[in-house]
Amino acid sequence: MSQHVSKHHDPDSPQVSKPDDLSSRYMTFLIGETIYGISLLHVIEIVNVQHIAEVPNTPAHVKGMINLRGKVIPVLDIRLKMYKDERAYDDKTCIIVITIHDMNIGLIVDSVSEVVTADSSTLATPPKTGMEDAQFLCSIIEQDHKVILNINIEKFLQDDLMGL
Amino acid sequence: MSTIDPGMESLMEAFIYESTTLLEQLDEIMLESEKEKNISQDNINEIFRIMHTIKGSAAMMGFTGISTLAHAVEDMFFLIREDPERLNMVSDAIFDLVFQSSDFFKQEIESIQGDDFQDTAATELIAQLKEQAAIMKGEAAAPAAGEAAAPAAAAPSPAVSANPNLKHIRVFFDDGCQMENLRAFALLNHIKDSCSLLYSDPENPESNPASSDEIVKNGLLISCEPAEDVTIDEILKMVESSLNIKTYHLEEPAVQEVQAPPPPQPSAASAPAAAPAAAAAPPAPAAPAAASSGSNNKAASAKQSLLSVNQSKLDHLMDLVGELVTAESIVASNPDLRGLKLDNFTKSIRELRKLTDELQDVVMSIRMVPLNGTFQKMNRIVRDMSKKLGRPAELVTVGGETEVDKTINDAIADPFMHMIRNSMDHAIEPPEERRAKGKPESGTITMSAKNVGGEIVVEIKDDGQGLNKDILLNKARQKGLLYKPESEYSDKEIYHLIMLPGFSTNEAVTEYSGRGVGMDVVRKNVEKVGGTISIDSQKDVGTTFTIKIPLTLAIVDGMEISVGGSAMTIPITSIKQSFKLWSSDQILHNSDGSEMMMIRGECYPIIRLHSYFGIESEVTDLTEGILLQVESGNNIACLFADELLGEQQVVVKPFPHFLSKYNLKEHGLSGCTILGNGNISLILDVRSILNSNER
Repeated sequence: MSQHVSKHHDPDSPQVSKPDDLSSRYMTFLIGETIYGISLLHVIEIVNVQHIAEVPNTPAHVKGMINLRGKVIPVLDIRLKMYKDERAYDDKTCIIVITIHDMNIGLIVDSVSEVVTADSSTLATPPKTGMEDAQFLCSIIEQDHKVILNINIEKFLQDDLMGL
Repeated sequence: MSTIDPGMESLMEAFIYESTTLLEQLDEIMLESEKEKNISQDNINEIFRIMHTIKGSAAMMGFTGISTLAHAVEDMFFLIREDPERLNMVSDAIFDLVFQSSDFFKQEIESIQGDDFQDTAATELIAQLKEQAAIMKGEAAAPAAGEAAAPAAAAPSPAVSANPNLKHIRVFFDDGCQMENLRAFALLNHIKDSCSLLYSDPENPESNPASSDEIVKNGLLISCEPAEDVTIDEILKMVESSLNIKTYHLEEPAVQEVQAPPPPQPSAASAPAAAPAAAAAPPAPAAPAAASSGSNNKAASAKQSLLSVNQSKLDHLMDLVGELVTAESIVASNPDLRGLKLDNFTKSIRELRKLTDELQDVVMSIRMVPLNGTFQKMNRIVRDMSKKLGRPAELVTVGGETEVDKTINDAIADPFMHMIRNSMDHAIEPPEERRAKGKPESGTITMSAKNVGGEIVVEIKDDGQGLNKDILLNKARQKGLLYKPESEYSDKEIYHLIMLPGFSTNEAVTEYSGRGVGMDVVRKNVEKVGGTISIDSQKDVGTTFTIKIPLTLAIVDGMEISVGGSAMTIPITSIKQSFKLWSSDQILHNSDGSEMMMIRGECYPIIRLHSYFGIESEVTDLTEGILLQVESGNNIACLFADELLGEQQVVVKPFPHFLSKYNLKEHGLSGCTILGNGNISLILDVRSILNSNER
């Protein structure tokens, strides 16, 4: 039910540039029709949606907490975080468990697609717009006629991480 | 810990642990001794040993500040150990100095644990200690010299530095003259008036017939300082003229000690030590040495069965046991087993449950520590403050052996300290005032702890002036803390005003209390570990604070309820009863829309959990769901939930750090737990629900 991607990886350790360098690889997922990517450095594992315990008095995108093998971790709905409409969870819906600031957080996405490796030729800097979406994008990958928007997770969760 | 080599980390830990334990022991001994106004021989040895150990290990770790001060204290006790009589010369000062030194050590040890440790020197303290040592020495250097070979001459004690005016005369009596000890006594008596200082070895020969043998063997050593206008020759003449004297001679000071275990320090070489006397190890000073080594052995053998463990390991163990309890109920109530008839399986599960229960009990008991240590610290505060404020007071502790979880013990030490300070500062009156009121001049603060059904009840009671209701009300009015007409406040409510944030009755901020933090911080700290405080007071009789704290935080007996789709846990200790309403007539509607109900003649508010937490629920009719009457402190209310799911022992887990910014504790949730089916249940904080309902 869960696929381990890089359990023992410490995202803070300085990376030696190797072909399979995690920092140039991105986990891609779908929100609606858009493909987003987050750096594999942050990703711990992917689990199916399971029972989520709601926590009162929290913002709407904080869906609640899940029990991950005895650990209680908070889960956020990426759709709601992006101010998109809520959508019922189905069997494709996944929770990407990431680590950031020594915390584990689950991100609920519509579906997980693949891991892509970016090289400098495919990477582009995002356009500078005042758009909500653009503020947390760190780069854009164009590959096989697909466009992947890479999210800088730190910026994306800035509001949530503030004051911790 | 920039100054500390990382390789020394474990040594460091050992040092900190050992020193802290020793210092606690030291405080205890000193407090006890101060009460008796005397330090017993055993205690002197013990203090000496403690200081010696601290000195040694601090020097090893390179903490010069600690080791030099320990050295100075050790020196002082070296002097006292040789002649406990000296204590009388300096006793009061000594207690203060030792306490100050102990505080210095504690401070240093604390800063060692922090990041910005700097080796500080307690120059002033050392100077004071030296001064005291000098007072003792100045009048009593002689026996120090005479007994230089006494226990632990290892310490280069300033005691052995000589008093140049001291003369040593060794006298041998006629062979077979009998009763040497009494003759020695007569001789001493004879020359007593001509000397300003007079010591003998053996000491007090008249009271110890056994000293005769020694006098026969080694002669009688007289150490004296001739009085003004008396020369040593005159004294020698007096000795000569006494009866039955065989020989006598004036001894030179530069005699080497024979028996001192390590090579004598250079300063000792010049000491006027008496070789033969020292070699024979006079019985008096030898006894304490034997006693101290004896008690050391005892301590060592008692220690062997104790093991100090890093607390984080215990926390981890506790976590694991928690997981195990959860895992066990996941297996036992696995949905795959539903409807199957599994006799053997049930039997095995029962066996497993028994074992996990036992394991849980053991792990819990490991984490339990007696309150004694915390109580001990309070003793110290009362002592210091009563000296400083000039208000004699005594702390009586009862039930210090009561045990609580280590985490709780750590969390309540500060609140207790604050309350004791408050009592000393605000409650206990000056002695004149107490006398006028017909109370004993010395105030009494009683701290008692007892175990009452899953909770520890600690009472802090003083016999001071009591809380003044008018002043409290006035103050609260000024600060705008009153929320209903003054006449409606009950006594208890008035007393509880002092625990509101921003309330401090004392105008003057003193060294000890009233530093902007007050009883509200105390209350917060106690509530943080799930405790409650209530106050009772009577004018001129005293004030009693009653603190109820849970035995342990980690595992609670909970009642599972459901509200909407959420599972919630209410700690069973706060539930008074649960019931279903049979008719909606039982509900009383207030004009502001709130609901209440009567139970046995009393009216209680109803709190709908679904609307309190903003959870959508299909059960909104009060007669359909279930009501739970809950209590926290003095508040009682009825909580409305969809249904009861059953009773379960749950392991309390804190909320993930990510959620800490939403301040869930203030919103009625104290934590979460994982249920047997793997789902997460929210643990309700009954107190905060009831408090927020009141406002």
